[in-house]
Amino acid sequence: MRGSLMLAARLARRELRGGLKGFRIFLGCIALGVAAIAAVGSISSSMLSGLEKNGRVLLGGEVELRLIHRAATAEELAWMEEHSSEISTTAEMRAMARSSANPDDRRLVEMKAVDDAYPLYGSFGIEPEIGITEALAKDGGLWGAVADESLLSNLGMEIGDELQVGDVRYRIRGTVGYEPDRATRIFTLGPRLLVSRASLAESGLEQPGSLIYYHYRMTLPEGVGYDAWKAELEADHPRAGWRLRDLDTAAPGIERFVERVSLFMTLVGLTALLVGGVGVANAVRSYLDSKTATIATLKCLGAPGRLVFQVYLLQVLALSLLGIAAGLVLGGITPSLAGPLLSQQLNFTITGGLHLQPLALAALFGVLTTLAFGLWPLARAQGLPAATLFRDLVAPARSRPPNWALVAIAAAGGALIATAVLGTSDSLFALGFVGGAIAALLAFRLAALGVTDLARRLPRPRHPGLRLAVANLHRPGNPTGSVVMSLGLGVTVLVAIALIQGNLNRQVVEEMPRDAPGFYFIDIQPEQIEAFDALVLETEGVSKLDRVPMLRGRIVAVNGVSPGDMEIPSEIGWVFRGDRGLTWAETPPDNGEIVEGAWWPADYGGPPLVSLDAEVGELLDLHPGDRLTINILGRDVEVEIANLREIEWGDLQINFVMIFSPGLLEAAPQTHIATVQIAPDKETLLERRVTDAFPNISAIRVKEALESFAQVLRSISVAVTATAGVTVISGVLVLAGAIAAGHHRRIYDSVVLKVLGATRARIGAAFLMEYGLIGAITAIIATIIGCIAGYIVVTEVMESDFAFMAGPVLVTALGATAITLAFGFLGTWRALAQKAAPLLRNE
Amino acid sequence: MPDVTQTTSQEELMISLQDLRLTYANAAGGVEVLRGIDLSVAAGETLSIVGPSGSGKSSMLMIVAGLEQASGGAVRIAGRDFGGLSEDALAEFRRDNIGIVFQNFHLIPTMTALENVAVPLEFAGRDDAFGRAEEVLTQVGLGHRTDHYPGQLSGGEQQRVALARAFAVRPKLLLADEPTGNLDGETGGKVIDLLFDLQRDADTTLLLITHDPALAERCARQIKLVDGHIVDDSAAVNGRTEATAAAT
Repeated sequence: MRGSLMLAARLARRELRGGLKGFRIFLGCIALGVAAIAAVGSISSSMLSGLEKNGRVLLGGEVELRLIHRAATAEELAWMEEHSSEISTTAEMRAMARSSANPDDRRLVEMKAVDDAYPLYGSFGIEPEIGITEALAKDGGLWGAVADESLLSNLGMEIGDELQVGDVRYRIRGTVGYEPDRATRIFTLGPRLLVSRASLAESGLEQPGSLIYYHYRMTLPEGVGYDAWKAELEADHPRAGWRLRDLDTAAPGIERFVERVSLFMTLVGLTALLVGGVGVANAVRSYLDSKTATIATLKCLGAPGRLVFQVYLLQVLALSLLGIAAGLVLGGITPSLAGPLLSQQLNFTITGGLHLQPLALAALFGVLTTLAFGLWPLARAQGLPAATLFRDLVAPARSRPPNWALVAIAAAGGALIATAVLGTSDSLFALGFVGGAIAALLAFRLAALGVTDLARRLPRPRHPGLRLAVANLHRPGNPTGSVVMSLGLGVTVLVAIALIQGNLNRQVVEEMPRDAPGFYFIDIQPEQIEAFDALVLETEGVSKLDRVPMLRGRIVAVNGVSPGDMEIPSEIGWVFRGDRGLTWAETPPDNGEIVEGAWWPADYGGPPLVSLDAEVGELLDLHPGDRLTINILGRDVEVEIANLREIEWGDLQINFVMIFSPGLLEAAPQTHIATVQIAPDKETLLERRVTDAFPNISAIRVKEALESFAQVLRSISVAVTATAGVTVISGVLVLAGAIAAGHHRRIYDSVVLKVLGATRARIGAAFLMEYGLIGAITAIIATIIGCIAGYIVVTEVMESDFAFMAGPVLVTALGATAITLAFGFLGTWRALAQKAAPLLRNE
Repeated sequence: MPDVTQTTSQEELMISLQDLRLTYANAAGGVEVLRGIDLSVAAGETLSIVGPSGSGKSSMLMIVAGLEQASGGAVRIAGRDFGGLSEDALAEFRRDNIGIVFQNFHLIPTMTALENVAVPLEFAGRDDAFGRAEEVLTQVGLGHRTDHYPGQLSGGEQQRVALARAFAVRPKLLLADEPTGNLDGETGGKVIDLLFDLQRDADTTLLLITHDPALAERCARQIKLVDGHIVDDSAAVNGRTEATAAAT
């Protein structure tokens, strides 16, 4: 066996000396697909390792404790100081900032109040270059502040101007150049305003129940490990209700985000490789077709079929490795190229460097694709009868590969699917995606067979050009199947992405629910309720006001079991991930239907009950009577589930996963949150009136919040579309290959037609009609399958309403037809330029 | 038709075909290409086959080479019954016993002359493959062109390489299918001289298909094939003694 392999390797090497002619498309397909997967994997690894390396800077310390609504008590603070070598305290909240010069100009800001120790790691960049302490210090009776450039341009201010937040006036001393610990948040509702921790105390914003996040970042004392530190913390303060983060969980949100996006993009890259697989199969087949004489000669000289198979398998693998190497180089250097750009976007350093694991995965994908698509023609070549040397072959004998080859093809395909599914973070999603891609490939194969069959059965068209075009669709060796499959899958992905993106955008921005509120008002103090309600309702244009009390709490146990010990489905992971808003009510909300259990009586006075989101109940098998433990303001409260409530999250009304019965929360410090529906032209008026009367209340414009969300969506969709573009380029490569493969036949056809008196225009028109037909058919089938895929993703995965969008779909479909026509035209042009005489003399 | 094998035992025969039939199935039904061929060729004998196009000459050659499966009858080459042999077993048999020369040379374009000649020796696992290949190439007068690729050789040179390749393994049987069909008269003549020289030196049995009556005449025995039948066998007229002598 070994000797035979050595001999095969020797023969393969001799054949490969002939050069790579005929394998350019093959190399391109493999390199492109591998490059896409390697690039996505490398960038995501670079980002994750960037997160890891910059953990201290991103977290702002080695450990962080976060409290909501309340600052740490003196006792807690003393513990922290005793158990750390350094400590920095910051408080973050949303607040309204007003220009002192033009008090009517105001803007919601993400305010961060920092102490003198901030930042413990990294450095805060300010423009112009001044120290952070100096920038924020009180000078001449005015506190200093540093703001995002966008806040200044929004309020028409410059450095040196004054700005008011709550009861405090600040002088802007500079703009934010670099904020080391900012990256951990993806969505923000407004520009950053950095102030001193001491100034916050004077602002009047620090009220009981106000939504303020207090962060305590610490450096661990010398010689103390994190686990020991954590154990001591839990022993001394078991019920503080703070969230603890360490270096491993510095930015879990970003980590999840990176993993999600890279999963999706890896799968899109895999689609590119699958499309390329069609090109691989075509290239291997036409290479082996050109080697018919050599194979037959080898057999005549006594080579067994197995040796022939080995010789060509080794060649194909060698070339595949060449393509993979090119792809790995391309993909491997992307982090170095894209790193600086991404670092800027994401606000943390992304380093280049090689990441072996994603590269190895991409290489494996490349090898498995080569095998899955190349084995079929290779196995058939093994069965090529040597007798072909003695006969003029009209069409090479086509036969089914032997059974062992079918098993090998299935094994390679299975390994490809398994790698795709197991190598990603969400196996189920990957399985669905790969299953969909394979189903689409099969659908295209069937569709192509249908088209060729239909073309065969069609009554002969009278127009000679059209007749030739239709005949070319089904003649032996037609490119219909390759073109439909290769270009089709790419176009399907593009159509599906265009539809998903369009639907997302529509929901987020374009088609806001008609009764969507114009504003959220937060941090309304209980004593301001009456005055707030009166002021809002007497404002012109206001059609509806909803106001509920709100405080935040975290689920710490379900029927006595900590969420950390439970298997929580990913759809509802967010419910347990951090603090959730809680409210209490006597009567059920208008926008939630009770699906199990019953609402409590309006005058209920018994032990605390809770109304829970029906989806959480369903996925965790929770029913009325089950018990939840919630930590509110550092106290664990056990409540019984009274009912499950269906929530319509898309309506942008105030919704709560948990609504408590009266009696438990009224006494706790809390603020109210309100939504207001208002005529759009009166929005500014209302914002001014409310924030003038109540400087501590913040107004969030729903449109602006959605716009900032849509902005993030747009950046993601650019990346996804770019990756999907690779699929189309792959498809175009395969298309070009298929057209090139038929080039000789086309030259022959055109020469014979010229001899018979056809003009160049007529021949050209016939060829173009053929490609136009293939392109149009591909576009139609791809559009249908793409729409189905988009529909499934939008309705099943994203669980929202689907709207068909003719615009992007039409553009994609027409683009596909145009590409096919363009390449067909190029090929045809070259064929038509061929002089007839030399060809005929040779014949 | 007289049977020349009467005086020769089965073991001493190089080729023994009995009631050989070949039918190709196609959409219109079956096409009978060979309709019951009986032929015995003794070891060392030279035999030419002539006949019009489509008479079944090449098909018969392919069956003898083990490249085509007979539809009926018995095939025995160098004492080996082809019945029931697998494709790979036939390939190995061919490797060790049969050399083939084609009208179109069929050299492997990506290999040098030397490598082309060495291939069957390599298949046989011979350590001296390249040494022997060089020796045979020198024998056919191409010792100085061993590193040339087929594309760099003239038609006559290519056919000489093909001859070297066919004789490299010292085959018991040489099959030649119109070996001069693609060569001009003078070059063809030289190639044929070489072929017969090599055949005589190695005492190889030769089966030669040709359209050229003069070339056919150079073989000790000629048969004519028409429509799948042997219609003429010189052994029946004047070759009997010679054929028998060659076999004994």
